[in-house]
Amino acid sequence: MRLDRRDFLKVSAAAAAAVSVPGCRRDEDRPRWSAEAIRKPESSRVAILPAASYEDDLRSIVTSGLRLFPLDVSGKRVVLKPNLVEFDPQGVINTNPVLIGAAVEALRGLGAREVVVAEGPGHRRDNEYLHRASGLEDVLRETGAPYVDLNSDSLRRVELLSEYTGLDALYLPETVLDADLLISMPKLKTHHWAGVTLSMKNMFGVVPGTVYGWPKNLLHWVGINSSILDINAALEVPRFNLVDGIVGMEGNGPIQGEAKHVGVLVLGADPVAVDATCARLMSIDPARVSYIGEAGIFLGNVELERIRQVGEDLETYLQDFRVLESFESLKLAPRSSAG
Amino acid sequence: MNRQVLGQEKQAEGEESNVSSLSALAMLRLLLQETQRADGGWSARPDGPSDTESTALSLLALSLANGGGPEGSATRAREWLRILQRSDGSWPHSDQVPLSHWMTSLAVLALRRSEEDRGRVESGARWLLQQEGRGHSWLTRLMFRFFPERKPVELDWDLTGWPWLPDTFSWVEPTSYALIALKSLRPELSSRRSRARIDEAERMIFDRTCEEGGWNYGNSLVLGEHLWPYPDTTALGLIALQDVPRNELIERSLAALRRMLDENDSVLVQALGVLAFQLFDEDVSDRRTALAQRVATAPPPVQTRAIAFAALALDEAARPLEVPREA
Repeated sequence: MRLDRRDFLKVSAAAAAAVSVPGCRRDEDRPRWSAEAIRKPESSRVAILPAASYEDDLRSIVTSGLRLFPLDVSGKRVVLKPNLVEFDPQGVINTNPVLIGAAVEALRGLGAREVVVAEGPGHRRDNEYLHRASGLEDVLRETGAPYVDLNSDSLRRVELLSEYTGLDALYLPETVLDADLLISMPKLKTHHWAGVTLSMKNMFGVVPGTVYGWPKNLLHWVGINSSILDINAALEVPRFNLVDGIVGMEGNGPIQGEAKHVGVLVLGADPVAVDATCARLMSIDPARVSYIGEAGIFLGNVELERIRQVGEDLETYLQDFRVLESFESLKLAPRSSAG
Repeated sequence: MNRQVLGQEKQAEGEESNVSSLSALAMLRLLLQETQRADGGWSARPDGPSDTESTALSLLALSLANGGGPEGSATRAREWLRILQRSDGSWPHSDQVPLSHWMTSLAVLALRRSEEDRGRVESGARWLLQQEGRGHSWLTRLMFRFFPERKPVELDWDLTGWPWLPDTFSWVEPTSYALIALKSLRPELSSRRSRARIDEAERMIFDRTCEEGGWNYGNSLVLGEHLWPYPDTTALGLIALQDVPRNELIERSLAALRRMLDENDSVLVQALGVLAFQLFDEDVSDRRTALAQRVATAPPPVQTRAIAFAALALDEAARPLEVPREA
């Protein structure tokens, strides 16, 4: 990648921003990972399915999407990990609870033994408020799905399989570690420190706040990009990803950005390939997003030629997501899906 | 007394809402006693393992009851905390997570009135005084001095409070708990060092005040955008600043908390609101009545700390988080 002076200044600004987040420090060492962390497949299937609004029959769409994958949920305990961080009546911060409810019903319809909704909100400790205000309370009542607060779940020490943060281990929730299948359900959003927040960044929510503080402070301290990589490498539980791209967030995400309609759900088993596809939908080059590019070396696929796209064409739903100036260098050329 | 009995009481009275604070308080205390685990501690949620935060807050709530609850509930909780204390004086999150931890402040607070635990409390306080939130390196600070436009957040980097975990950044909630704990140990703990730490932490909290008053987790302005305050963090910040002469930032934060409580009726924040406002001499009787109604008519809070804070808030005879004024 060649950088002109303007690009260089933008990259420098992004680097300065990354180092200057309270509690953050720059990644200094060359990243390393153990053999157990390597799970990059030969190729990855990613589905883009149209879903114009939350009024659509999302249960059917999710069901048909899951059937595009060799995913047997029969008799399994599935843990849905939405992105439920904060509530702003004017904002679109969280994975829409309607989609969460649809996923619960779809998985039950496919034979899942139990579907649990689990999240460790990164900003709010007051679950009673957050559930009611966000609408999740209604969905949990209607579906009867149990909810586990990952901020205060039973914990086990998990040795890290990669060395980006310099931490040896993390204490992680048993609900996640013991899942037969963990489904990351992020919102399609820009992120003011990481560039984008998707399936992999959503795993910040499994890190318990009662141990590491809010807003997941330790992860900011040791570096956001490094933490995303270490957490995702450490989670050896079977994974799937279902991205709420019906309405995303652009600009100053993940909290204070603006709504951006895209009208899709993005699904896949490889979180790197799913995130790379989502980034392209946002007109962002995934290879230039620090943690996605790095994850593409050992955790999953970033390269277009290794992603088998099914469902709708990416081009049809391509949107020009506004990003902060410090991340302008991540953008793809207008109306192009290259990268 | 349980929730069903409370409901019958309401029905017998034939009134829409007339549950007394006393009966709601009795119900919450009973709930705490029933959810105490066999090891003497409490968990954050009903089926989890005991942890220091839940145990300390529950103990604090039950300590106000005569005898600390039936069959030595408080005694067993103290014993759980005693066993868990680490050799450096700190308390860990739990026996699952043996890391020295911000929850030390709560353990100190819960044990401070126990003569038998004086030594443990003092060593916990000493550990707290050794902990300081960390900021950026001198090099980064120097860069910000020359390139202020690169600062992502606006705050005074020289002011430190307390972090969630040792050697990380200072945040409002752990700093507030540490302040409440250390101030509650006056006058026994009144060294120059402790006064200096308290003074700096108070200034740190003021420095982090949101534009509209109150506190987010620890920043007020990020990338040029003002952050909004949270009611629970704001109430805790105010409780920590209860003995500071009232100033414009405190008034603004009290006003912000009033606004937030109008929009959020969760048990946790309504309870914290009562605990904060009573320390600023506001009449909290209506808030307490509303909280009692909330407790009696809604499903019980899942989070133990919400139950414990509600029990503390409904006790009309006590100001459980009041700290002695500095001489």
